Formats: sequence, structure tokens, C-alpha cells
Amino acid sequence: MALLHIAEPGQSPLPHQVKRAVGIDLGTTNSLVATVRGGRAAVLPDESGAVMLPSVVNYTQPGAPLVGAHALALAAQHPADTLMSVKRFMGRGSEDARSDAQRSHYHLAEGSEGLVRFVTACGELSPVEVSADILRVLHLRAVATLGGDIDGAVITVPAYFDEAQRQATKDAATLAGLRVLRLLNEPTAAAVAYGLDSAEQGVIAVYDLGGGTFDVSILRLHKGVFEVLATGGDTALGGDDFDAILANWVLQQSGTPALEPGQYRQLQAAARAAKERLSAALEVDLDLHGVLPSGGVIRVTRQIFESLILPLVKRTLRSCRRCLRDAGLEAGIDNIVMVGGSTRVPFVREAVADFFQRQPLIDIDPDQVVALGAAIQADILVGNRPEGDLLLLDVIPLSLGIETMGGLVEKIVPRNTTIPVSRAQEFTTFKDGQTALALHIVQGEREMVSDCRSLAHFELRGIPPMVAGAARIRVTFQVDADGLLNVAAREEITGSQANVTVKPSFGLSDEQIAGMLQASFSHAATDKLARQLAEQRLAAWQLLESLKSALAVDGDALLNLEESEVIGAQMTALQALLDGTDANAIRVQTERLGRQSEAFATRRMDRSIYQALAGVALDTLDEKVSP
Amino acid sequence: MSLADFQRNYFQLFDLPVDFAVDVTQLGARYRKLQRELHPDRYAGASAYEQRLAVQYSALVNEAYTTLRKPLTRALYLLELTGMSRESIAAQQIDGGFLIAQMELREKLESMEGLIDPETVLDHLVVEISDDITDLQGQFAQAYSVGELSPAASACVKMQYLDKLLQEAEQIESRLLDRQE
Repeated sequence: MALLHIAEPGQSPLPHQVKRAVGIDLGTTNSLVATVRGGRAAVLPDESGAVMLPSVVNYTQPGAPLVGAHALALAAQHPADTLMSVKRFMGRGSEDARSDAQRSHYHLAEGSEGLVRFVTACGELSPVEVSADILRVLHLRAVATLGGDIDGAVITVPAYFDEAQRQATKDAATLAGLRVLRLLNEPTAAAVAYGLDSAEQGVIAVYDLGGGTFDVSILRLHKGVFEVLATGGDTALGGDDFDAILANWVLQQSGTPALEPGQYRQLQAAARAAKERLSAALEVDLDLHGVLPSGGVIRVTRQIFESLILPLVKRTLRSCRRCLRDAGLEAGIDNIVMVGGSTRVPFVREAVADFFQRQPLIDIDPDQVVALGAAIQADILVGNRPEGDLLLLDVIPLSLGIETMGGLVEKIVPRNTTIPVSRAQEFTTFKDGQTALALHIVQGEREMVSDCRSLAHFELRGIPPMVAGAARIRVTFQVDADGLLNVAAREEITGSQANVTVKPSFGLSDEQIAGMLQASFSHAATDKLARQLAEQRLAAWQLLESLKSALAVDGDALLNLEESEVIGAQMTALQALLDGTDANAIRVQTERLGRQSEAFATRRMDRSIYQALAGVALDTLDEKVSP
Repeated sequence: MSLADFQRNYFQLFDLPVDFAVDVTQLGARYRKLQRELHPDRYAGASAYEQRLAVQYSALVNEAYTTLRKPLTRALYLLELTGMSRESIAAQQIDGGFLIAQMELREKLESMEGLIDPETVLDHLVVEISDDITDLQGQFAQAYSVGELSPAASACVKMQYLDKLLQEAEQIESRLLDRQE
């Protein structure tokens, strides 16, 4: 079959052009964007040379949110309108978040279906919208630095993030106009950043203590395949807590009763500065003039600071121990990777080295390592490394289950199961003549539903009336490579079905996102049409490209003459449409070609299993495995 | 062969003989090889249909690997391949001697937290249970190889009991460790 020719340079990407892909670390305290250029991952600085963007947004000027250092500077002046550490509120219900909000002096809106909404001078805002404002700045920085639209982004999340928190993160990225290639767990990203440099084999522990979250993961690296063995952590423990505990101690020492929100912010900032200086110095003097009404100077020794944070550090080590056990290792850890600014605290490093009996790796800046790893993964996913020298096999952090009689949880997918995963379980009716079944999906490790996180409710209807226990309802949980869940229920006898993509109770619906996107685009109608056309062309081009390379390899072997003629004709038709400007016609033909080539795709997939195993005998010799 | 065929027999997926004895290193190598081909990350730029397909295949490979990697799940799977249902496996007669020994082990576990040196006692107990599991694996392999499914199933059920005990022992150990802090 003749190769098709793609015209229109500049309108559609050139076949072998390097695509622009970025990795974004959306952090509690700081956010970063990185990319791979010339084979090396590097973080992108802003015009002033700063790479870290403080994850702070100030909403005092309607329509013009201030993001980053400028916003941070306004935090003391406008505590309720300057939102910091918003990551802590992602995907959480307002009841759940109220105490955290009080501590941060934010005003939460009442009501509104349990969604967290901050009340600011610019109106009510969700954590997703605030995060989108942060991501938008990084997106713009990437476009400006790389000189064009970004083809795809990998956004990192703490491994311990639950379904709702992951979905909220993905929503924020979509809202910021980014095409999300993958959500990647932060510890895994860090391991990737180290793993590619050293190309070694062995077991790696990643200790990630950021501003607001703690994560630990145990991975096995084997010939470019990263297998996450276990992951654990604490979504509400981080360097911010070090600052808070030190600030409270200072407050106690100074005998000051209560503080205004703005003053507390200042005190916390002073505590943070003291903490950072204590990484190098053995003692520092904390000047409280202009911070506390009483003024004065308080001396903090490293010893005092260490005794204050000891309980917090111990909590992290407890998670490490649990994670090690979950990993079920026979031998010890070969390497420890340190991630997050809080691992600069010498006491933390010592405690970790002591626990794992090994000195941690600190060659890569702990603040940048996650973004760098994400950039490498983005580079691979976007197709810049066709040889694909790396594969990540990640796990789900929390068990997924379903509510059964008496408020108990039946676990269907236990935590630390490798994703993607598909698991089914059968249930039955408990009343005679029952025609509907309500399903309640939960996430967590506890036995009672009330102690777990509620993800979604849905109903399977149309069960034929039968005696109790006769119906056979098969519930299938499928978790994709992003760790996002899809649940399907099916009555086996009649085949009645119900399906739900779990949009957690606190997430946003697709319509809400679409609405927000619409609102955020101030394009004229013609711009919108041009955009649609560009998007449809890109989708068509991608399908044509992937089919062409697939046909070149497997076309002769897997398709008969007739089939290959049908596909060829559809491809030519789509190709012809690409010269025109009818976005709708391109979309329709892209879909038609997609359907036409489904059988071919399935055959290819089956064949790749054989191809993978065909080399097995050789491979086995290679690894000196006895037959 | 297609997805459905591989679903029917996990051993075939890894090109391994249907047997209780599995070389886990070899299994791991083939698992990684398959994931290198089938994982959704390999299809990030492909059509939506191919992406869905990749999720299904990759999930199947994960499931098969998880099932075959551990002796207990592998044994249960072998019995299922012979046509035995989960229910009939669970309904196997267990001899009284085993049940009594099992209860004694459980009592020891439960009284652990009052002891002066619970860690040492717990360590011994874990070794004891693990040794029993190894014995049962031998019994299963023997019975299965000669096609005596009922004794094989009963060895399986016993392994399940002991596996549960082992998990409880781990929980107690983690509680003991937490208390020390």
C-alpha cells in the first residue's frame, strides 16, 4: 500500500518533529514546570530566573488573580484573599476541611453540596479553580520558553492522594488548558529522575516530605521497568506542620495570647525562615519586632527545634515501616531518594538514614526532582522516545470497596494493587422481588463504611423480580493508569447494566468544567471555530499517523486484501478532508476510520503478546534463569 | 488466540506449563516483557479504542501475574482450572487436629500483647506458621500432581487459614511497634 502524504506544514505537526511536553509538580508550597531538551530534563525559570512558583494566589483585584511571589507578599495584608497550601483542600468536602480552613484563616462558603469554596474579594472559588490559576501561570511560562503550544503534560500528585483528590487535580489541569497525558505519583517521578541517570537495578525507597504531604514508596527497578511495590504516607503532614509547631512554641514562649490572622501568617513566615536557617546553623535568633505586638527576640536552638518536630518525624517513619512490610521484600533497600524541601532538615535526613541503615541520595535538588521525573515521563508519553526506554508500573494507594449489609465494606481492589486493574465481584439481592440495587463505592482501609471515604452512589435498575439471593449482580471495578476508577454493574441473568465513571462527590462534573472552560476563553467566535478545526485536524492526523506506522509493520500479516483496501480508502478520504476546513466532516470521518480499524488494533494487541513471548527463550538465558 | 483465551488460562499468557511449581524469576521477567508491550503508557498517542484495549490487556496481565506469583493464589487458581468452584473448595472437610492446632495458635497470638517480650514470642510464632505453610505447599503439590483434587483442596483451605493468621500476626507486630514510640 502506498504511503500517504501529509501536507500543510505549519498546520499539522511534522511527522518527526519533537513534541513539546512538560512535567508539572503542583506542590502545596511551590510549583514547578520542567521539560526534556536535548535529552536532558531541566526546570524552566520565569523571566526573573526563579524556577519555583510559590503556590499562592491573591484574589483582591477582580479578574486579575496574582500568582506566586507577588501574591505571597500580600499574604499578611490580605489573609483571607490570599490562598496558600490550597492543595490540602483539593477534592475534600467542606465539613472535612473546616478545621484546616480555620487554621489558615480562610472563609469557606456555606452549603453548596459539600464543596469547598473559599470566599474572597473576587467571589467564591473552589480549590480546583485556584489550582488552575497556578497551573495557568506555569502553562504560559512553558509556552513562552518552548516557543509554542504544549502537546501534553504530566502532572504529579502525592501517591497517597485518593480518587477525589486525583480527579480534582486533573480537573484543574484541564481548566488551565493543559492536555493531561498522565497523573504521576510524586515518589515515582522522583525515582524516575534518579533512575535514568544511574540506570541501575535494585530496590529504591522514596521518602517525600513536602510542604503539606508525606509520601513513601518502595520501588523495584529492573531493566528500565519501575515496579511500585508499595506506597503509603500521610496526606496531612508536611513542612508546614514544622512551621506551625515552631510558631506555636514561639507564641507560648512570648506569652502572647491570640493573634490576628495576618499576624499569625507573619509569625508562621518567621518560623519558616528560622527553620530554614537552622538547617545550617545550630541556633538562630527569631526577631519578633513587627511580627508580634510584644516584639522581642527569641532564641531557637536546633536541639529545641528537633525536639518539637520529633513526633512528626516519627509519624513518617511509622509510615515507612508499614510500607516496607507491604512491599514484602526479602532483601533490604539499595537506595533512598529524598524528595521535598523538608528533607533539607538535617534531623530528617539523619532519622531516615538511621531507619533504613543507608545514606540517602541527595544529588538532585529535592525541590526539583519530582518535576524533572515528570518531564521525563511526559517526554516518553508524548512519543519523543519511540524506543520507550522506561515503563512505570504503579499501584493504587487505598483499597476500593463497596458497602454491604450493616454498613460494612467489602474490599474489591486492595491497596498496593498494580494498575491498571480490573476486578469483579458478585453480589445478590437481599429481599424477595427486589428490582433495584443501590451501590455505594468507598475508598479506605477500615471495615466500616462510616470510616472510609465515600466516592460515589449509583443504582442498578431493572433487575427482574426474583426470590432473595437469586439474582447475580456482577460489579466490576476498573482503575486506569492514572488511578482513576470506573465501576460497572451488570445483572447476569437479564443483562441489565449500570455504569459510572466515578466523579467523586466533591469533584466537578464534566459540564461544570466545560462551563468554566467556556467562561475562561475570551476568544471571539471565529477563534473558537479555528481552534476546533485545529483540534480535529490534530486528532485526524494522530490517527492517520498511528495507523500508517501500524500498517507498515503489521498490515500485510494481519489484514486480508479486502480489509486493507477498506481501511486504505477511509484513510484517503480522511486525508482529503484535511485539506478542507470542515471540522465536523473531519470529526465524522476520523470516528469512522477509528471504528473501521478496531479489529486491526485488537489483532495487533494479541500479536504483541506473542511477540513479547517469542523472545522469551533468549531473554531467559540472558537472565540465567533455570528452565 | 485472543483476550478471552488468555483470560481462560493465565499460564498460557506467560507461556508457562500449568503446574504448581513456577519459577518466579522467569514469571517476573515475562510479566515485565508483556507490560512493556501492552501497558497503556505505550498507547498514549493511539486511538481511544486502542487505549481502552491497552487498559484491558494490561489489567489482565497484572491480574494473571498477581494470581500466579503467590503460592496460595496459584494453588487456588490451579484448582479452579480443574473445574472446582470456590464454594466446593471452601466446603472441604478439615481434620479436627488441624483445627485445634489452629485455634491454639490463634489464642497465643491474641494473648501476645500482655507478655514481657512479645516480639521474640511473635517471631517464633511467625516462623512456626510459615513452616506449616511450606509443609502444606508440599502436600498440595504432591496431591495435585497425582490428580487427587480433594486432598489438594483441603491443603489449600488450610493454607488460607494460616495465611490469615500470618496477616493477623503482622497487624499485632505493627501495633507493638507503634506502642514503643
